[in-house]
Amino acid sequence: MERAEIESALVEIVRNEKQLAEDALSPETLLADAGIDSLDALTILFAIEERFHISIPDDRARAMKTFGDMITIVEELTGAATA
Amino acid sequence: MTSRVAITGYGIVSCFGRGKEAALDAIRNARSGVRTITSIDSSALACRIGGEVPADAHEGLHRGYDRFTRFALIAADEAMQQSQFANSGIDATRFGSIIGTGLGGCETQDASYRRLYKDDQSRLPPMAIAQCMYNAAASAVATKHQARGASYAVVSACASSAHAIGQAFQAIRAGTLDAALAGGADAPLSYAIIRAWESMRVLAIDNEHPDAACRPFSNDRKGLVLAEGAAIFLLESFDSATARGAEIVGEVLGFGITSDAGHVTDPSADGASRAMQMALDDGALSIDDVDYINAHGTGTRANDTTETAAIKSVFGERAYKIPVSSTKSLHGHAMGASGAIEIAASLAALNDGIIPPTINLADPDPACDLDYVANAAREGSVRTFLSNSFGFGGMNGVLALRVRRGN
Repeated sequence: MERAEIESALVEIVRNEKQLAEDALSPETLLADAGIDSLDALTILFAIEERFHISIPDDRARAMKTFGDMITIVEELTGAATA
Repeated sequence: MTSRVAITGYGIVSCFGRGKEAALDAIRNARSGVRTITSIDSSALACRIGGEVPADAHEGLHRGYDRFTRFALIAADEAMQQSQFANSGIDATRFGSIIGTGLGGCETQDASYRRLYKDDQSRLPPMAIAQCMYNAAASAVATKHQARGASYAVVSACASSAHAIGQAFQAIRAGTLDAALAGGADAPLSYAIIRAWESMRVLAIDNEHPDAACRPFSNDRKGLVLAEGAAIFLLESFDSATARGAEIVGEVLGFGITSDAGHVTDPSADGASRAMQMALDDGALSIDDVDYINAHGTGTRANDTTETAAIKSVFGERAYKIPVSSTKSLHGHAMGASGAIEIAASLAALNDGIIPPTINLADPDPACDLDYVANAAREGSVRTFLSNSFGFGGMNGVLALRVRRGN
């Protein structure tokens, strides 16, 4: 899966959870600045895991600060899954 | 300083729809809200009817919560709007949220267990615990309306919301709270809960005629009809209400709470009558003060005869002069929310000069020989009434209330 495809799917997941404006998320966006608290993040992570059939380890989840981090983690884990 | 407790707003969402006007319209016209259940796939169930909240009364509102919490939030919104309590300058730390529920987040639990045990998934949504905990509604209502004082859930089966209102009443009267959002919410129309009720063989199963299924006090009754919904009251000290010039739409006068300490499902007239007497004594009322009784009136043989006997033991000959009705005949049994829904429905009707009917009372049970306001609403001026709630486990709660101030 291409990075752009992952980004687009993640935008949809996050926006579904938080009702953000379409242009509210860029790779540099800090999740906290987008109003995503730790509880929101849990729900978003769950939706990501369901969508991509991956399991995000706790330490990777905790290290996720920006929307770009989120894309990178999914990219790595989906790549690992198909490798 | 007075220790009186006013009702300055209330909200209700039930099978009649959203809002007290919808409830009043159904009661005035003696129109049942019981219908075929459509919120879940009920095709495999023996009992496919219930007092289900119509989709257009709640869909799209308060997303992200379990169904019972969304009902509580909808009812609390209406109570807050009517009371004009927000931004009234009260101390939020003396404002509570006390909400009863019998079964909590059934929707979340049912979906979670289905996922685990039927769909063979190993993981559950991360919000499952926060959504199905029994205090989810009390917490969500407290957060939404910034009630920072005593907030908790009360769980005592079908007496839960009566007990929650009673607890809030006592706290305000004692001066530990100035105001509270109090009431009940339940959403038990899930596959597993209905199956469990079917096993108890107490459901009135009449899938072809949902509106005729619930028949309290009638000799041909078949049992209770499950229902869902919420009703929430803004209770407030008279001092607070008067100081801010709020309209007082009712008053809580007294609270009776007892336990049968007997059979888990078979009620006792002693426990029920002691609760009624306690509510009267608590409100310094005599039997002559009571103009109406909203019965627990489930439509089961065990309840209806026992409750009738309990009313007679408290009121003696006067029992035959007091209108006693079961609005459950119209909206079914909303478990832990039922007491609050019945008080809200009664207040709406009584404040409009209408005594709620008991519908489907075609053939009175000889053991049930009171005036049950059979089949049609009645015009009448009621000043003081009792609301009875009796739950499994022998939990009894009775509230004495006054219709609109000065009435």
